[in-house]
Amino acid sequence: MSYVSSRPVVIGLEVHIQLNTRSKLFCPCSTDYIGKTPNTNVCPICLAVPGTLPLVNDSAVALGSRMGLGLRGEIQKYSNFHRKNYFYPDLAKAYQITQYGLTITVGGYLDIEADGKPKRVRIHHLHLEEDAGKLVHPTADGRLTGASYSLVDYNRGGVPLSEIVSEPDISSPAEAKEYVARLRQLARYLDVSDGEMESGSLRVDANISLSNPGGSLGTRVEIKNMNSLKALERALEYETERQNKVLDSGGRIVQETRLWDDAESVTRSMRNKETASDYRYYPEMDLAPIVITDEQIEEFKKSMPELPWEKRARFAGYGLSKEETAILTERKELAEYYEAVVSFGAPPARAANWVRMDVLRVLNELSRDIREFKVKPETLAELVKYVEAKELSGTVGKEILDILAREDVPFDEALKRTGARTGRLTGGALETLIDRIMSANPDLVEAIKSGRDKKGGKLKFLQGQVMKETKGQADPRETASLLSEKLV
Amino acid sequence: MKMTVDRNVTLRMARAAQIRIPDDQVGHMMDSINDILDFCALVGDLDCAGVPDFTWKMKRLAPRRPDVAHEWPDRDEFKAAAPTTDGDFFRVPKINAEE
Repeated sequence: MSYVSSRPVVIGLEVHIQLNTRSKLFCPCSTDYIGKTPNTNVCPICLAVPGTLPLVNDSAVALGSRMGLGLRGEIQKYSNFHRKNYFYPDLAKAYQITQYGLTITVGGYLDIEADGKPKRVRIHHLHLEEDAGKLVHPTADGRLTGASYSLVDYNRGGVPLSEIVSEPDISSPAEAKEYVARLRQLARYLDVSDGEMESGSLRVDANISLSNPGGSLGTRVEIKNMNSLKALERALEYETERQNKVLDSGGRIVQETRLWDDAESVTRSMRNKETASDYRYYPEMDLAPIVITDEQIEEFKKSMPELPWEKRARFAGYGLSKEETAILTERKELAEYYEAVVSFGAPPARAANWVRMDVLRVLNELSRDIREFKVKPETLAELVKYVEAKELSGTVGKEILDILAREDVPFDEALKRTGARTGRLTGGALETLIDRIMSANPDLVEAIKSGRDKKGGKLKFLQGQVMKETKGQADPRETASLLSEKLV
Repeated sequence: MKMTVDRNVTLRMARAAQIRIPDDQVGHMMDSINDILDFCALVGDLDCAGVPDFTWKMKRLAPRRPDVAHEWPDRDEFKAAAPTTDGDFFRVPKINAEE
């Protein structure tokens, strides 16, 4: 159970999202760095060779603007870049090119729902900046302690990021987790980023404080190094409890940056932070300001796809529950798959069940993404229609789906393998079969007729025999009805 | 007005910048900083009245490039020019802030 804070919790988040560009923010080096040999995606610009000049990637500006619009922010027609100086070798320039003051978008909000309650989190601004390289510490555990030097890989250095800074509107770790989940969903819907926290495409820095008795804000602590939504929530829960305990024991909170240690489930103070953070921002003279025209803003607005909350509202129109729409719209690709199934004639409610329960089950079993799912929407629609018309039982339908998802076979072949045929067994043919099964089980028939089947297990066995013989083609209701009539 | 730093100020600057300077190199670092300060004093003597400040005043379009990736042809030259490397990595001083 989550820790319950005795003081109001105030959280603001800074979320860094790697933008889906092919090349870096200021140079043509590839952004595809995962698994690459260190220092191969580098050039004189991202290695800060003297005499080189940065040149802004047009797509990064477009994607940043798009994300800002998705957050209902306002695109700034005029923004610029600054140099953020810091003494750390993960950028070869010894400064980071970032936006400061005049950012690409300002304002906006994101509506979330946590613990069943709606919440609006306001956005302060969104800015563009370059990512840093990665430091590797040559010690057995990869930590800095014990290292006498560090190694640096600049492949990631210069990859475009959009940093989204929220207002301190978040009131609990659960809300923080939900906010980031919705932000990630938005980034994916907009094709702005893959939003994978585990690979570092999305990173969160959290500022957390506890309000004082008079309502004024308490001392803020920044937390870094959370690599999953779960880690974010756990780190904030730990920090809430830690700060409460410090205050309860008469102590005071120190303004500092703390790192989340996932293995130990604690936050730890970063040394020397109290003497750092003078970034000496000043305008980046190598880059002219970014000017975005009214025409470009209109183009960005026109190119916006349907957003998650719009899709949820539309799916609700299909008669789906809140839970169903939430699951189906979580990933844009899944929502599109579902809509395609419906467009091929599957009833919306039935199709929702199949996609939500069976398609996701199979994908989970195969550890695959919906984009890798072998069953085409038209095939699933056909399957759903057969089951809906009771020409196939639900059980056989699931069996067929399993075969189609695992093997490259046409629908007819999968159907053949289950031994089933489309076409509902009913009426006289079904009655004949029931008679045969009853004849083969005289003891059971006698027991049921003489009232020795109080729990109904014997009747269910006979029904099961009918379904087995017909490979699920018999209508269960009609089978039950005919058996009941004959066994009175 | 010309400024100078002494040995103590040099060590305080090193601490603020989170670097450690071996004792036998403090003097060299102090001289280097004083050279920079001398140059600043020289620049300070220039008459800059009427010269605009360095922020951009014109709302002109910054040139942007299309999002096309390509490899730099000779990447080994960077490692060859680096003071120290270790395999595919550049080797850099340990920074304490993360510890």
